[in-house]
Amino acid sequence: MGKRVNPMLNVENVLFTITVLLYVAATVFYFLFIVLKQDRLARIASLIQLLGLVVHTAALVCRGIAAGRLPLTNQYEFSTSFAWGLSLVSLIFLRRFKFPVLGAFASPVIILVIGYAALQSREIRELMPSLRSSWLGIHVSTAIIAYGSFGVSFVLGLIFLLREKMQGSAFWNSHVPSREKLDLIGYRSVCLGLLFLSFTMITGAIWAEQAWGSYWSWDPKETWSLVTWLVYAIYLHLRIRRGWKGRAAAIFAVIGFICVIFTYIGVNTFLPGLHSYA
Amino acid sequence: MQKRLKAIGKFLSSMRFGILLLVVLALTCVVGSLISQGHPMDWYLQRYPERTAALIYGLRLDDVFHSTWFLVLAVILCGNLLLCNLLHLPGLLQRFRDAADPLKTPKTARITAGVADFPEAVFEKIRMPKPKTIDAEGGKRLFSVKNRIGLWGAWVCHLGILLLIIGFTMGQVTTEEYTVYGVPGQTKPVGDTGYTVTIDDFGVQRSENDTVQQYTTLLTMRDGKTGAQQSASASVNHPAGLYGYRIYQNSVGPAAKVTVTRDGKTAQEEYVCVGDYLYVLNTPLMLYFVQYEDAYYDAGSGKTLPGYAYSTYYMGEQERAGVQVEGDTALTYGSVEISFSDPREYTLLQVKADHFSWLVLLGGVILLIGLALAFFLPMTRVWAVQEADGRWTVSAESRNAGPLFAEQFREAAGIPEAPEETNGKAGEPDA
Repeated sequence: MGKRVNPMLNVENVLFTITVLLYVAATVFYFLFIVLKQDRLARIASLIQLLGLVVHTAALVCRGIAAGRLPLTNQYEFSTSFAWGLSLVSLIFLRRFKFPVLGAFASPVIILVIGYAALQSREIRELMPSLRSSWLGIHVSTAIIAYGSFGVSFVLGLIFLLREKMQGSAFWNSHVPSREKLDLIGYRSVCLGLLFLSFTMITGAIWAEQAWGSYWSWDPKETWSLVTWLVYAIYLHLRIRRGWKGRAAAIFAVIGFICVIFTYIGVNTFLPGLHSYA
Repeated sequence: MQKRLKAIGKFLSSMRFGILLLVVLALTCVVGSLISQGHPMDWYLQRYPERTAALIYGLRLDDVFHSTWFLVLAVILCGNLLLCNLLHLPGLLQRFRDAADPLKTPKTARITAGVADFPEAVFEKIRMPKPKTIDAEGGKRLFSVKNRIGLWGAWVCHLGILLLIIGFTMGQVTTEEYTVYGVPGQTKPVGDTGYTVTIDDFGVQRSENDTVQQYTTLLTMRDGKTGAQQSASASVNHPAGLYGYRIYQNSVGPAAKVTVTRDGKTAQEEYVCVGDYLYVLNTPLMLYFVQYEDAYYDAGSGKTLPGYAYSTYYMGEQERAGVQVEGDTALTYGSVEISFSDPREYTLLQVKADHFSWLVLLGGVILLIGLALAFFLPMTRVWAVQEADGRWTVSAESRNAGPLFAEQFREAAGIPEAPEETNGKAGEPDA
């Protein structure tokens, strides 16, 4: 007799598929907006993205109900939550600063991250004793916001670099904020990310002390979180000390996000340690 | 000489040097994570060319985070942060005071907009506190400031990081750490502290599908000097705290009862954990418990039975190695017989006293406060000066907000064209 599948998990599977389709549709509309230069398409795209975020949230809730815990404990759950965080932060920045081109650049990244999630095993396993902690929710959810913010700063960095090449384009000049403003928005998303990354590291240290008897073990995940933190700290100091703004800051935001991705995927793939399940 | 020392001091406290240290620290962390840590020289020789392995060992890249040079790097970083904070303190205090002084507004304002009769509306629209009215020499003035505390952001961040590094380093140097393991009923010393731990009970909570949910040890800690004792339970994520020590449920493993008989009478009986040695009393014999398997295939009987892998040493030399399955005849050495029985799980507890963990936590909290101050509470000042014709000129500055604040200010002041940006700096937190 086959294993009985939790019906909530079936609902989650359907919602996850709809989420992916909505994000793909949003990307297509954003692309058309860039190509056809019609604002209406951007509005449709951001609405579809918002709908995708709502369905995505429902999928996460269903998984949480099916698992009987927060869905933040394995590669699949963290990847889909990472995509959710990226979608949320990009929509917040998009609405706050009113520039849909951000969505056009953020949505392919969201698709890449959620695509990575789709490749992971969706099996729900019981948690090992060390993961049965109330710190799990705080630690991982702050990491999602941090990664989402760094993802947005990466996207803004790319837009900044492209904007330089598109100086003569009337569409870019009217639909993308000035370079100074882009730089400042990128800086703000780095600030948000760094605050949440610090929070992630501190809550992680408190949790590690309770679970493993040591708040810092130089585990590869911890070490690479520190590397990421240091890279963004260097970025902030260089902004102040040497006036590294604009192009240099944009390149730094891209490098910083590469560190984030390595901390998340690279460490799990190449440097196993205490966080091997994450 | 004094000039040179001063220059060196200035460099060591500079942000340029701080950035350099952050880069070195980041690179060190990358190296420390890419080279597997804590192996003997042979391990590196098998995986790297001889010269590379020698370099790894010579530079202590095999144990980067516990090497002397890493410690020196941490100390230098502390020095840089400390000097930076000390040297910036007087200037920062002055700026903090000046920020509240309506007469000490910048001569060249960062954003200035000419405005009509009612400047109070501008203050309100950009959510500034109600402005103070001052009759100054140049005419009537309105002044408002908010988020002055934000000026302290970077300084507070540095303080937090300093406390974190000091707490972590001191903790590394002074932490007392011991392991105690055994089965219920056993009492073990906690290193040379004079305390003992008795394992009163140990249990594994499992779910319906047999997955382990929790390991819990009930224990009693006894002070050997005073005879006082306290009991507690330790489980994963819920360490016990007794006599200034934190006791963590760290690990579990198999153990079994070893019975030694001499001339048919029981001479010794105790539980031995896997990986432990048992000295057989009044003999030069030593037993090493290698492993326990609850489903060991016994070729002799063709059955699957619990099996105990062992080695024995006689006068320090390995003498025998094998597996004793349940029901097997005992190991025999003349009149001495050794047998295994009653397999069970032992609990391994980590007993630790880190006297500086509170400092690390404090540093972490201060760092978070500093980041929040620096990033999300930009010091903002708005002031209006009444001109001779009775109209007002409103000016403003906001650290950390640049063109975004300018836009907000322009909207509030009802100025359609872009405001004049007289200072190139967007205004970010002080270092």
